[in-house]
Amino acid sequence: MPQHAAVSRQSGGQARIAVLLVLLVLIPLGYSVADRVIVGTRPSLQAFLEVPDTKETRCVRDTAYMRYRHWELLRGVREEVVRYGIRGDITIDKCRTCHKSRERFCNKCHDATSLTPDCFQCHYYP
Amino acid sequence: MTVETAVVDPDLEFIRLLDEGSGHMLKRCFQCGTCSATCDLSPDTSPFPRKEMAWAAWGMKERLLNDPDVWLCYQCNDCSVRCPRGARPGDVLAMVRREAIVYHAFPAFVGRWASQPAAIPLLLGIPAALLTLALLVRDPIQQALGWAPAVGTPILYAYSRMFPRWLLNGVFLAFTLLALGLLAGGVARLWRSMGRLHGAGGPSRRARGLVGSVTSVVASVLMHDRFVKCTESRSRYWSHLAVFFGFLALSLVTIWVISAPYNPLVRGAFIYPFAFLSPWKVLANLGGIALLGGCFLMIWDRMRERDHASVSTFGDWALIGTLILVVFTGFATEVLHYIRLEPHRHLAYFAHLVFVGALLLYLPYSKLAHAVYRTTALVAAEYFGRTRGGGRPSPEMAGTAADNAR
Repeated sequence: MPQHAAVSRQSGGQARIAVLLVLLVLIPLGYSVADRVIVGTRPSLQAFLEVPDTKETRCVRDTAYMRYRHWELLRGVREEVVRYGIRGDITIDKCRTCHKSRERFCNKCHDATSLTPDCFQCHYYP
Repeated sequence: MTVETAVVDPDLEFIRLLDEGSGHMLKRCFQCGTCSATCDLSPDTSPFPRKEMAWAAWGMKERLLNDPDVWLCYQCNDCSVRCPRGARPGDVLAMVRREAIVYHAFPAFVGRWASQPAAIPLLLGIPAALLTLALLVRDPIQQALGWAPAVGTPILYAYSRMFPRWLLNGVFLAFTLLALGLLAGGVARLWRSMGRLHGAGGPSRRARGLVGSVTSVVASVLMHDRFVKCTESRSRYWSHLAVFFGFLALSLVTIWVISAPYNPLVRGAFIYPFAFLSPWKVLANLGGIALLGGCFLMIWDRMRERDHASVSTFGDWALIGTLILVVFTGFATEVLHYIRLEPHRHLAYFAHLVFVGALLLYLPYSKLAHAVYRTTALVAAEYFGRTRGGGRPSPEMAGTAADNAR
């Protein structure tokens, strides 16, 4: 019957849409599995962040603070310098004493979270 | 033919409620059966919505609220549009479903109370208060147990200073388990009533196995094939498809993120929020857009249909509104993160968590419960052979059919 033919054509289209959407939703999972299987077989030799040079024994704050709040610290320092002319001990230049490379240290997390802090628009940090 | 005598003990308050829900059209029904005949989803034996319209007019509350058939209806409104008397069977069944959620709700008073607009401040206040409480006890607990943001691990959540992972996982796992636990009673009751009404013949007469039933329902839900059988509201297929797959995508990303520390697939560093072009972030953004678009399409449909076919209740608007607010606050958090507004992103994230909390916490009392009840009814219908005309009407059903036939 023509009506039945129309219905089955319709449900065929729906099945295609459903399969397409399910595959679409599963792409990231597939990507992660492939990433694990293909890349995971090679041992990763480097740490995610470059291990800091040991010129200094410790950072200006502890690691947990630096990991989750360094931007607050740097913003505060910027405010003091730019608005009030108070130049303290903490400068981005000094970060470079231990953290040599922006590419291998700063940018690792910034890139991973799609953040582009404007520090480096003024500060030279290779 | 033996006709079982049914004692009708009308619940007048319930009749009034359904009448109101159908725009005072319920009593116009003269049992012609056009609704059941025109419905493409209704089974061949004791079809709906005709029998439900009779029960509604008689105020047979218990029978309606335990009727699994109302969950097989997708309210495409083919019946309401073709009803020669304009009695709006589609709306009556929607109202029965709403009342069934309230009826199955445990504790019962929460179900009734959560279905009223006046409760909105408290409904949102409870997850907000619980989350605030969790934030207040965060530092003492972390100090007492020696939990600090883990420094050594390569897993990093940029929100964990304000919302540590143990806090979010704990609160939301508690919400989810509580909601599912409270739903279990209603689900069990629905399953039993489907078995009692349509499962005559015992386990040997089952239409298909449980695994087969679940598989077939999952495929059907993914395909939205029942939506397409509706001729009156074709746009519902698209809107529900968008909302469904958007919700699915967002749930999947959420599960991936919260399970990252225990996930063997996560290799090396895992940093959240994701980069904008990470496949997971792309999926989340597309899911958010789909969910939002689907919700707006639903609002548009409801505004458009209001006059001739469908009545929208507080529960309908509450679910659509909550979903929109979840996505909206989610996108707001994302944007505030990218533009690096430090305290603000936490406020937006807090609001996001409150709406997600409301969605989870009120799962047993809101329209979202349909995701569970309808799925249960669909699986039961497959399992007991209700969908393919193979169901054997119980004496209770046969009595009604005979009554109707006279």
